[in-house]
Amino acid sequence: MELGRRIASGLEAATFDRIAAIGLANAEVNRPRIGRSVLELQASRLGMGEDAIVVGAGPSLARRRSLERLHAAGYAGTIVASDGALGACLRAGVVPHVVVTVDPHPDRIVRWFGDPRLTAPSADDYFRRQEMDPVHRQDEVGANRALVELVDAFGPKIRVAAATSAAPAVVARCEQAGMELYWWNPMFDDYERPDSLSRRLWEQNRLPCLNGGGNVGTAAWVVAHAVLGKTRIGLIGMDFSYPPGASYEKTQYYPELVAMLGDRFADAYTHVANPHIGETWFCDPAYIWFRDVFLGMAGEADCETVNCTEGGILFGEGIAFTALDEFLTRGGGGR
Amino acid sequence: MTEYLKGNYKVGAKIEEEAEAADATEQFEKKALSRLGGSICFVSKKTLMWNGEPQPQARRADTVEGAERSEAGEPQPRVDKEHGAGPTDR
Repeated sequence: MELGRRIASGLEAATFDRIAAIGLANAEVNRPRIGRSVLELQASRLGMGEDAIVVGAGPSLARRRSLERLHAAGYAGTIVASDGALGACLRAGVVPHVVVTVDPHPDRIVRWFGDPRLTAPSADDYFRRQEMDPVHRQDEVGANRALVELVDAFGPKIRVAAATSAAPAVVARCEQAGMELYWWNPMFDDYERPDSLSRRLWEQNRLPCLNGGGNVGTAAWVVAHAVLGKTRIGLIGMDFSYPPGASYEKTQYYPELVAMLGDRFADAYTHVANPHIGETWFCDPAYIWFRDVFLGMAGEADCETVNCTEGGILFGEGIAFTALDEFLTRGGGGR
Repeated sequence: MTEYLKGNYKVGAKIEEEAEAADATEQFEKKALSRLGGSICFVSKKTLMWNGEPQPQARRADTVEGAERSEAGEPQPRVDKEHGAGPTDR
């Protein structure tokens, strides 16, 4: 087995080890602020029909101008965005009905909502390096300032499906921007086990536990289907990979892989030829794990999942792969 | 073959190269796992949402009952306000 896949095979347990303690600690800090359950979103006025679009923050969003096309098409279905895609949505004139946030990282995630406290380039180079929202690369402070203004302007129209594991700084920022918060628990482990953390958390706050599939994009798909009951879900920006020609330096886990592997760092990347677009994209171990998990979840779900990214590596049994325009044209009540 | 090829001396050095290499790979992979990974857990369970009680098996549109309802134009099972909208056991 190649190195990337071998590492990926251990990530389910490793993610639990890395995330559970801080996620539970955040749940405790957030407890006084927890009000509405995510299930209350079902009674909210969202988009029309049984369709939804789930927006990830992958490079195909900009590459294919997916959001601009969605906006131009006048899509009337429900739009559920991952937090990393919020800025791109608002800049394209798309106001998502629901934004999903899960990551417990104390400092980084708040930046997806615009961090009013940021006045100078951060010591953490994550946003200058990441591929998810390239505008932060050129002028980190200016891009953040513009995002603060956008989120402040549109916040009252946006509902946030917040995991109880979310960083308290994110929760505070959402409240400050006038966003309505709807809460859920991340499913940490098997709730049928007597010592289950998920069960213990549920007993404390009685919020539903969602199986997040390792990342916020997949969690957004779970919200669209399992919470909102959408039966036909189109994906944009859900690439779980980097496009041909992208530099390794701009990938999510580059510093970690170089620190661990030295000159051999490239061995950890997996290259996947996508027959639908005739391109080979590549991914690091975490992304190949996300992809495999998502294919498993979507393959068994009682809904039609349509990959409209026009890029990436998310194809296989249980997922249709079509152009975004085709999904929108065949959208039935969603348009 | 071992009947014909027999050493006539003892090797003094202890060869541990393979074991060392295996240990190094294992160490690396262990270290890698602690630094990589997702922002939320994945639980290998056919459940998207759990809300405190054992979940009933979801009725799929492609089961006989679901298909019959669908063909007859009858409404399909819809939102369960308490436990969620979609099937919770996939």
